[in-house]
Amino acid sequence: MTKAAIRTEGLTKRYGSAAVLNDLNLEVPVGEVLGYLGPNGAGKTTTIRLLLGLIHPSAGSSTIFGLDSQRQAVEAHRRLAYVPGEANLWPSLTGAETLHLLGQVQGQVDVPYRDELIERFDLDPNKKVRAYSKGNRQKLILIAGLMSRPDLLLLDEPTSGLDPLMEQAFRHSVFEAKERGQTVFLSSHILSEVEALCDRVGILRNGVLVDMGTLAEMRHLSSLSIEATFDGSVPDLARVPGVSAVTVDGRVVRCQVLGAVEPLLKVLANSGVHELLSREPSLEELFLAHYGSGDHGSEAVPTRDD
Amino acid sequence: MTTDSASQLGAPELRRPSVVGPGDITSLVPAGGNPTRIVRRQTARKALRSGALWGLVFGLYVALQASTYASQYKTPASRLALARSLSSSSGLNALVGPAHDLQTVGGFTTWKCLGILTVLGAVWALMLSTKLMRGEEDAGRWELFLAGQTTPRRAVAQALSGLGAGVVVLFGLTALVTVAIGRTHPVHLSSSSAVFFALAVTSGAAMFMAGGALCSQLAASRRQATAYAGTALGLFFALRMVADSTAGLNWLLWATPLGWVEQLQPFTNPRPAVLILIFGLSATMAGLTVTLAGARDLGGSTLPDRSSAKARTSLLTGNVGLTARLIRPTMLGWWAAVAAFGFLLGMVAKQAARSLEASSSAQKILLRLGGRGAEVKAYLGISFLIIAVFVVLISAGQITAGRREEATGRLEHFLVRPVSRVRWMAGRLGVAAAAVALGGALAGTFAWLGAASQHTSVSFSSLLGAGLNTVPAAVCLLGIGALAWGLAPRVASYAVYGVLAWAFLIELLAGIAISNHWLLDTSIFHQFTAAPVQAPNWSSGGAMIATGVVAAALGTVAFAHRDLAGE
Ligand SMILES: Nc1ncnc2c1ncn2[C@@H]1O[C@H](COP(=O)(O)OP(=O)(O)OP(=O)(O)O)[C@@H](O)[C@H]1O
Ligand SMILES: [Mg+2]
Repeated sequence: MTKAAIRTEGLTKRYGSAAVLNDLNLEVPVGEVLGYLGPNGAGKTTTIRLLLGLIHPSAGSSTIFGLDSQRQAVEAHRRLAYVPGEANLWPSLTGAETLHLLGQVQGQVDVPYRDELIERFDLDPNKKVRAYSKGNRQKLILIAGLMSRPDLLLLDEPTSGLDPLMEQAFRHSVFEAKERGQTVFLSSHILSEVEALCDRVGILRNGVLVDMGTLAEMRHLSSLSIEATFDGSVPDLARVPGVSAVTVDGRVVRCQVLGAVEPLLKVLANSGVHELLSREPSLEELFLAHYGSGDHGSEAVPTRDD
Repeated sequence: MTTDSASQLGAPELRRPSVVGPGDITSLVPAGGNPTRIVRRQTARKALRSGALWGLVFGLYVALQASTYASQYKTPASRLALARSLSSSSGLNALVGPAHDLQTVGGFTTWKCLGILTVLGAVWALMLSTKLMRGEEDAGRWELFLAGQTTPRRAVAQALSGLGAGVVVLFGLTALVTVAIGRTHPVHLSSSSAVFFALAVTSGAAMFMAGGALCSQLAASRRQATAYAGTALGLFFALRMVADSTAGLNWLLWATPLGWVEQLQPFTNPRPAVLILIFGLSATMAGLTVTLAGARDLGGSTLPDRSSAKARTSLLTGNVGLTARLIRPTMLGWWAAVAAFGFLLGMVAKQAARSLEASSSAQKILLRLGGRGAEVKAYLGISFLIIAVFVVLISAGQITAGRREEATGRLEHFLVRPVSRVRWMAGRLGVAAAAVALGGALAGTFAWLGAASQHTSVSFSSLLGAGLNTVPAAVCLLGIGALAWGLAPRVASYAVYGVLAWAFLIELLAGIAISNHWLLDTSIFHQFTAAPVQAPNWSSGGAMIATGVVAAALGTVAFAHRDLAGE
C-alpha cells in the first residue's frame, strides 16, 4: 500500500459542545494538488492545525505520509511546510535573518531555489520585519515554506495580501511544486486560483465535508445553464425532466438542467430554436450553490441529490 | 445605494443601520462608548486599576515603617541612639538618600520610604506608560481609533490624561493611608505634612509617567521605549547616588529629577517650591509627547530607526540561539543593573558596617547572624536580599516573554517544523536559567570588586557564593512559572507575579504579624540565607532547585499535551 500524503479518519474537533470539524475522512494521494474551500468559519484552518498537531483532535486521527500527526509530529514535519495566511514574525529580525533561522530550524534548504524565490517575489531581504508591509511579510513566510522543497505543502490562504503580479508568481511556484511531485493542500478563498491549480476540490461547510471531487466530476453533478432564443412561440420547458429554474423573457428562455440533456434537446429541436447558449457552471457558481444554502441550515445540498 | 436615496425611495427603515464608513467607528466600540474619548477611557481604566494596587502597597509600606518605628523606639534616648548610628552611614545614604532628623517619626519614615518608593514608583510608571501608550499602538489597537475622528495628537493627549488619573490614584491612596496612620497614637504626623509626604513619594512616578510617554514617541517599539526610559532612570539614579555619597558634589542633586524629590524633604524641612521643577518637567514632557505624536507616523519613531540591516546570523541556528538574541538587550540591562548594584554594595559595605557596629539593636541582630567582627558580611548578607529580588524578577520576565511567543503565534514557526514542544520549552527555560545564574554570578563578582576597591577583606569565593545563593529562588520561580504556563497559559504571567507579590508580603509581615512556619515556607524567599554572613545552605538551595525542575517538567508535559493558546 502506498502511503497517502494526508489521511484523516473521523477527524473531529469540538470546542465545548460545538463541533467545529465533524468526522472528516479525507485522503490526499502523493502528488495531488487539493483545493480546500469553505466559507469563513467552516473549519479549514482548524483542519490544518490538527494535521500539524498544533491542536489535538476530540476524536479521530490523521496521518501525514503514514506518520501520526500528534505522536510523530517531529518526523512528519521534516517532510512538510506550512504557510499561514497571516503570521507574526520577530520584528527585530531582517527578512534574510528570518529565512536563515527558519531554514536552520527546518534542517533543509535549497539555497539556489530560495534565492530564486526572493527574486521572483521581489522581496528586499535586508529590511527588518518591522518595516515590511503586510504583503511583504506574507511573501517572506511563503518563501520560508517553499524554499525547503518539502514533500507536502500545507497552505492556508497563502496569497492573502499579495498583488496580482505576486499571485502569478505564487501560481508559478505551485505548478513547479506539482511538477516535482510535491503534494499541495491549498485552502483558499480565491476560486480562480483553486480552479487553475487544483486536481481535486473539497468543499467544507460548518465543519462537514459536503463535496469532494475533480472539477469535472463536480460539474457533471451540477446543473448546466441553458439560454435559448426561439423564432416563434416559446414551448413550456418546465415539464421536461431535469429542467428547473425556468425564466421566460420574451423569446428568450433561461433554465438549468441537471443530469441528461437529451430530453431537453429533443424539445428544443422541435420548437424552432434560433440560438442556443449553454455554459458549464464556474467554480464560483458551484461554490455559491454550496455556500448559498449555508443560511438555511440543514437544507439539502443542491448538487448532490443523486 | 446610499441611505439617502433609499429614504427617498420610501424605505425609511433603511435609515437605521447607517452606513459605516471609515470615519465612523461607533459601530466598532462597545455600545454606549463615545468614540472621541475611548482612548482616555481604556487607558484610564487600566491605569486606575494598577495605580490603586500600587497606592495600597505604597500606603501599607509607609504605614508599616512609621508604626514600627513609633512603637519600637518610644524614648527620645533610644531614638537618638538609632539616629546617630544610622545617619553616619554614607553607604546607606548613597542607596536610599541622606538621613535627616532620624529621631523623629517623620524623619525616619522619610528616610526609609522616600528613596525606595520613588524608584519603585518611577519603574512602575515607566513600565505602565510605555505599555499603555506604545504597547497598545504596537498591537494595532490604536489604528481603529485613529482611522476615526481622533487625531494622533488627541489620542495621545487622551492617553496621557488616562495615565495621569493613574498617578492621581496612586497619590490619593498613599496620602489617605499616610494621613490615617499619622492620626494613630504613637505616630502623630500632621495631616498636611502627610499629604505633602505622599506628594513627594509619588512625584517620581508622575515624572516617569510623562517620561515613559515621551519615550513612546521617540522610540520605534514598546521595548525600545521602555529601554530608553529605564536607561534614563538608571542614569538619574546613579547621578543621585554620586551626589549623595560624595562630599562637594551635593549640587549635582539639582541635575537629576530623583535629586529634586529628595530636596522636597517632607516632614523634616518641607520645600514645596521644588515641586515647581517636578511639575514643570512633567508638564514639559507631556507637552512634548503630544507635539511629537502629531509629527510622526503611526508605528513610526521620532528618533531615526534603522529599517534595514546587514544580516547577522551567527546566533540564528535555532530556538536557543534566537532566544539568546531576542533577550540580549533586556538581559544586558538587567546584568548591568545587578553588577552595578553589587559593586555599590561591596563598595559601601565597610562604612555601612561601621554604622551598624555603633547601634546596639543592630548588634543584637549581628550577634545572632554571625557574631562580632562579621559586620561587613552581615551588611552584605542583608543587602544580597535586594539582589535576590532583581534576580527573581529576571525569572518572572522570562516566563512572560516566553508565553508571549506562544500568544503571538511566533512559537508556531518552530512547532510546524521538526521541533518538539518539549525541546522548545526546555531550550527556552534553559536560556532563562542561564541568564539568572549569570546574573547571580555577576552580582557576587562585582560585589567583591567593589569591596576590594575599598580594601575590604571579604573573600571572592564567599561573595561569589552569596551571588549564586540568589539563584535557587529564581530557578524555583522559573519552574512554578513554567507549570502555570503549561496548565493555564493565559494567566501564567499573573501567576508568576502573584507568587512574587505573595512572597514580598510574607517577608514584609514576617516577624511582625506572621510566625507560622508553614505560611512562611510558602514564600520563595524564605529559604534564603543571608550569605555571606551565614553559609549558603546548599541543601535547601538544592531542594528549591529540585522543586523548580520538577515543576518545570510537569509544566512542560502539560504544555505538550494541550492546544496552543493565543492571547
Ligand atoms: N479556540 C477556539 N475556541 C472556540 N472556537 C474556535 C476556536 N478556534 C476556532 N474556533 C471556531 O471554529 C470555527 C472554525 O474556525 P476556522 O478558523 O477553522 O475557520 P476557517 O474555515 O479557517 O475560516 P476562515 O475562512 O475565516 O479562515 C469558527 O467558527 C471558529 O469560531
Ligand atoms: Mg482560516
